[in-house]
Amino acid sequence: MATLVRTVTLKKQAEDQIARFDIHQRIQHGMMMISFIFLVLTGFPLKFSSAGISQWWVALWGGIEATRAVHYAAAWVMVASCLYHGGYLLYTVLVLKRPFPIRIFPTPRDARDFFLEIMYFTGLRKEGPHFDRFSWREKFDYWAIFWGIPIMAGSGFILMFPVAATNIFPGWIVPVALIAHSDEAMLALTWIFMVHIFFTHLAPGIFPLNKSMFTGKVSRERYIREHPLEYERMVSVRRPEPEPEAEPVPEFPAPPVTPGPEEEKETE
Amino acid sequence: MNKNASGKAWGKGHWLLASVTLLLLLGVALLLGASSAQALDENNCLSCHGTPGLTKTNGNGDVISLFVDEKKVNTAAHRYIDCTTCHTAEPHKVETALTKLSLAQKCGSCHEYQYRLHLDSVHGRQLVYGNSDVATCVDCHSSDGSPHSVIRVLEYAAPAYKKNIAQTCARCHGDEGLMASYGIVDKVYESYMRSFHGKAMQLGAYEISQLDKATCANCHGYHDIKPASDPASPVAGLENLAATCEQCHTGAGVKFASGFLGHREASTDNVPVAYYTEIFFSSFLVIVIGFGALIVLLAIVRYSLNRWRE
Repeated sequence: MATLVRTVTLKKQAEDQIARFDIHQRIQHGMMMISFIFLVLTGFPLKFSSAGISQWWVALWGGIEATRAVHYAAAWVMVASCLYHGGYLLYTVLVLKRPFPIRIFPTPRDARDFFLEIMYFTGLRKEGPHFDRFSWREKFDYWAIFWGIPIMAGSGFILMFPVAATNIFPGWIVPVALIAHSDEAMLALTWIFMVHIFFTHLAPGIFPLNKSMFTGKVSRERYIREHPLEYERMVSVRRPEPEPEAEPVPEFPAPPVTPGPEEEKETE
Repeated sequence: MNKNASGKAWGKGHWLLASVTLLLLLGVALLLGASSAQALDENNCLSCHGTPGLTKTNGNGDVISLFVDEKKVNTAAHRYIDCTTCHTAEPHKVETALTKLSLAQKCGSCHEYQYRLHLDSVHGRQLVYGNSDVATCVDCHSSDGSPHSVIRVLEYAAPAYKKNIAQTCARCHGDEGLMASYGIVDKVYESYMRSFHGKAMQLGAYEISQLDKATCANCHGYHDIKPASDPASPVAGLENLAATCEQCHTGAGVKFASGFLGHREASTDNVPVAYYTEIFFSSFLVIVIGFGALIVLLAIVRYSLNRWRE
């Protein structure tokens, strides 16, 4: 359950911050982000190997063996972040008995939100859709990884161990993996830089940098604007008396609505 | 022994100064006097043949250049072998016509082993018939086709240096018209540069330790290069191909080799599954990116309009 945290900013202005991501989610995102950047930096020159700048860039890293080693290392970090994500999900659900994060799953409402948003963008409606914990765009980004990682990691490991791969699969698996790896990488890169960066960092009200995935917190004002439905629910289920012994429960990603205690913590 | 040097006109300080000055002068003189290595030219051939534009007209009325570029011959692999080693003791009396074959024979008078391998290669067999299309020694070992510019294989500028081999082969094998006349339709150079081997070779540095990827010669052979249709070729048939792959890819078998697209693009009759994968992923890429671009574009328009109306 999202937790209301009142923090004091450096300017000593009290600003309401609402916790949105717990430390594990932030680490998972950080691992994925950093490994993604390194994978792009070391993989992209291979795709455009005839460009002079690629040759200059690879030489800067210390040659093709150096970029390859970094690419391999970053690939393992990315795979580790996914295992961490899956493992953490199982742990929270099976051991901590937290509710399964059902809110990340796409629903018919997302299709409706998508059309409402397109109508808003094109001027057919005065207002955009109101989102719950995750907007359709956030869900799209999240689930795209469930398609992208098996493709990228699967094809990547085939290219990393081509002889072992052909001991199991037919020989064509290697050229197929190369095509998949190359094209899917372009897709991921373009999507992240065009869509993800635009809507999470450059859109009005967020520009220039959205720090919530790094701090875990979102200002109340922005939360109301971006996730009004979740915010309303958070406020309505909140008890007037906060329970001091209750620990703030980080979410993964969001539990279903269960009327329960909502903690409010004061930090000075 | 003079223990009272300070009393003399030339004290210790003076000697030191004089020695340092002398050393400096010597250094400057050495630097100024230093020039690149001089080719061995015992009979002063270059005094005439070093003149640009020196030509003769042979019996057929063809004008033949007799100019030898001193700069190139000074850095050539054979710079310390005198002109007359190849051009015989009486070079002006040579009457035999210069052909690609006679040129190769001349190289072969020392490099016997390579010459014999070459004669049995796809290039050499044609050479014997007088075909001047085919590559011989100087076509791969000299940057300008002149035997006077042959440099050692391990020099970075050598056409047969590993990083340059693909470009050297492509001088002929990248010529579509020439290749078509021999029935070779595959774009071997382009397909090699598309492969991981070619990309790594292109991106890698010049240090030989960075070039442990396969290039043309690693699979097809060097002096004894055979056509892929020749059963003796290291790439003829999956068995031979697998054995060739195995030289680098330890444990590679026939299944591994069967994944090689050849020097062709994937198509309905060349590893069709790769062809369909290509179609699937490129369509998928266009659709998803098109969708993403559309919503970003629409959002930019909306946000700009909102801002403008404020």
